[in-house]
Amino acid sequence: MSKDTSTTTNRHIIADAFVTSSGKAQLIGSRCSRCETYTFPKSFTCPNPVCDGSDIATAELSHKGRLASFTIIHYPPPPPYVAPDPFEPFAIGAVSFAEGIQIIGPMTDCDPWDLTMGMEIETVVEPYYTTRDGVSVIGWKFRPVSEERE
Amino acid sequence: MRDVAIAGVGLHPWGKFPNKSWVQMGAEVAVEAVADAGLQWIDIQAMVAGSMQWGGSTGMRAGNTLAAALGETGIPIANINNACASGGSVLRSAWLMIAAGIHDVVLAIGTDKSPKGFFPSVPILSEEPDEPVDMLRWYLGLPNPGYWALEMKKRMATHGSTEEHLAKVKVKNSRHGSLNPYARYRKTFTIEEVLASPMVCDPLRLYEICATSDGAASVLLTSVDYAKRSSIPMVKLAACSLSSGQFGDPTMRIPLLSAVSDERATAPLLSESKIAAEMAYTQSGLGPEDIDFVELPDNSSWHELQYLETMGFCEPGESEKLLDDGVTSLGGDLPVCPSGGFSSFGEATMAQGLLQVVEATWQLRGTAGDRQVEGAQIAMTEVYGAQANNSACILTT
Ligand SMILES: [Zn+2]
Repeated sequence: MSKDTSTTTNRHIIADAFVTSSGKAQLIGSRCSRCETYTFPKSFTCPNPVCDGSDIATAELSHKGRLASFTIIHYPPPPPYVAPDPFEPFAIGAVSFAEGIQIIGPMTDCDPWDLTMGMEIETVVEPYYTTRDGVSVIGWKFRPVSEERE
Repeated sequence: MRDVAIAGVGLHPWGKFPNKSWVQMGAEVAVEAVADAGLQWIDIQAMVAGSMQWGGSTGMRAGNTLAAALGETGIPIANINNACASGGSVLRSAWLMIAAGIHDVVLAIGTDKSPKGFFPSVPILSEEPDEPVDMLRWYLGLPNPGYWALEMKKRMATHGSTEEHLAKVKVKNSRHGSLNPYARYRKTFTIEEVLASPMVCDPLRLYEICATSDGAASVLLTSVDYAKRSSIPMVKLAACSLSSGQFGDPTMRIPLLSAVSDERATAPLLSESKIAAEMAYTQSGLGPEDIDFVELPDNSSWHELQYLETMGFCEPGESEKLLDDGVTSLGGDLPVCPSGGFSSFGEATMAQGLLQVVEATWQLRGTAGDRQVEGAQIAMTEVYGAQANNSACILTT
């Protein structure tokens, strides 16, 4: 489910945003128990203006979702993005989960030009970049579900 | 509520001016608007300015900086930052002061020198427990046009829009911009040239995304009664709305990482933009069918296609046909961005909402030169800001 995340010193790109404990990576958001609105990253509040729910609990999202949209970034974004050298165009996807929320993340393990709208996607946890003092910063990414891998 | 008139306007040419400060650019357009109205600097009773985040502390208080340069008179000065919709927000505040009868002469002004390339994040210097979301999307590597590309990809899947449509928006706006001496880019492009420009955030190409520019614009508002003293043809600011986003909107908003899924959406895409347009129609008692031309926020070609629907000029998926049929070109039934739009000017976030109103004013006065919309009597402008900020204006003769 993930690669290179266990051996080196690593740091999460954002605290409490994903888990891998089930063996499959899942994003963590929050859920309002009254109106069932999900938020990501997790929130202290319910963003629904007509809901006065105050019972906001941590909630794991489905491991898999559908590719709602994607774009291929052809130029290195400015810092704090850490661009690999040489830079290669990469894809960012918006993945729609059954919980009613779409979330953006970098696409991995795929040729960006092979992505198609609506394809089945799974969540993984992978390195984003390595800091100058050797800390591997890890975060969520998305990849097409592949029968070969399963 | 009192009727509000646009008594004077000022516009600096847009481009890159490394040897000129934003203060000088702002001072020039302030003086120009005051002179255009036939008034003196000391006649101004209040000023609202765009709070320019790229300009440090004095930029954040741009209005006070300009007053210090042009002469302090003790008037109320407010500095507002609503991202790229700042110009609209500034004008709205000035409009309210006059409509409410508190002041008779109010200057709305925006002056801006933008950083090069993708707009960067503004550094957070306070001590915070967590990484702010604006930084997170940069670690992911998603610049502003990437957000627009995500929406355009959906539009292509839903409505069958093509890369040619994106290019055609640029072709049209480049023709308009070529006629405007204030525009930064005055070259006309063919579809082939636009499609040959480098891909930036697929499916958006370099020429389909507006650049970042230096620019300044000002609008001097007065009550209609006050403006009747002037010999300039009367242009009224019949509506000036301000809106924010609505819960349940599926737009992936800069700089957020999530949105409600399209299937579960309970509000329209770009809800804030739809609300701003509807608010302007309600304020003015006019509707889309009354509008003679539009200055909309063509931050990218996607925006132009989307905003025509969001503002109520056509049904979802019909913008492409309006473009194909020449309806939105100068000479068509509903010219869109006769100024050349942000496509020809580039973004100067504090000033671009005012730029649109300056252009609309000149058009309604009949002084827009080669790009004049014949017989224009009612104009609409709308500006788009990050994090769900929006403002729309309706101007009448
Ligand atoms: Zn709730």
